[in-house]
Amino acid sequence: MGKLLTKEIKSLIGREVTYTAREELGRASIRYYALAVGDLNPLYLNDAFAGANGYPSVIAPPTLICETNQFIGEVRPLTSHGHDWGISIEGCRLIRGGNEYHFERPALPTDRISVRWRIDDITERRAKSGLPMLIVTSVGTYTSHAGDLIASNTETLIYQKVSQ
Amino acid sequence: MTELPVFERTFEMVDLIAYAGATWDWHPLHYDPSYLKSVGLERPVVDGQMFGALLAKQILDGFGPRAFITSMKIRFTAMVFAGDTVRVTGVVTSESGPVASVAQQIHAGERLAVEASAEVRVPASDGT
Repeated sequence: MGKLLTKEIKSLIGREVTYTAREELGRASIRYYALAVGDLNPLYLNDAFAGANGYPSVIAPPTLICETNQFIGEVRPLTSHGHDWGISIEGCRLIRGGNEYHFERPALPTDRISVRWRIDDITERRAKSGLPMLIVTSVGTYTSHAGDLIASNTETLIYQKVSQ
Repeated sequence: MTELPVFERTFEMVDLIAYAGATWDWHPLHYDPSYLKSVGLERPVVDGQMFGALLAKQILDGFGPRAFITSMKIRFTAMVFAGDTVRVTGVVTSESGPVASVAQQIHAGERLAVEASAEVRVPASDGT
């Protein structure tokens, strides 16, 4: 066992949690996301344009469903920022390592999305500074209410010790 | 096409707040001065996930509305802060039949902030 990788932390490997959106994704949330990221591709905004390109309606930008927390039902959930594993380690800063997405089909305004998250692995490494860091790898699998797979998202989070 | 269309984007505080609202992600790292101070940072941090959206934009702007991104692999190498301007660059590294591979980078000034690769299903040239 390392300094950060305690037995308790290691026991989180394999843990799963599922979140289901309360309603369909909808055109408004797609448009607001497109505006916020500054991507005004008419595929996201204009049904006729999306239809002319082979889609049944506007589609969501590819990473939208992987990055939004529309399953949240609380007001200002400032103790939990959408999905997390409740891992909090004294003296550690949480940073993002990376994401690997696989997309099966675009998400549509009519999809009601569920995501199942699973912790695949937790390891400890030493940063260049010599301080230990914990690397948590989890996989999110996104499906529609009809059961079809839309995307998967392998996420790497790093809990980096900031001082001894 | 070997180069994807290069573009720049400046993130002001209001952009970070719009993104937080659009994603339902209100982590204080992206707007709260007292929280930022407590973790030793001076300026709000741009959500790394924002860059996934910029990378996808560059790919679909380059390949057109009939292309479909099948996978993206993104590695974050440095933080980007409110007030920073980023530059998104990308090249097509291989094209074989309907599948293209791309490599992309996002720089904030001289700093490499994001390194990424993706696979894209490209429509046949007759548009079918």
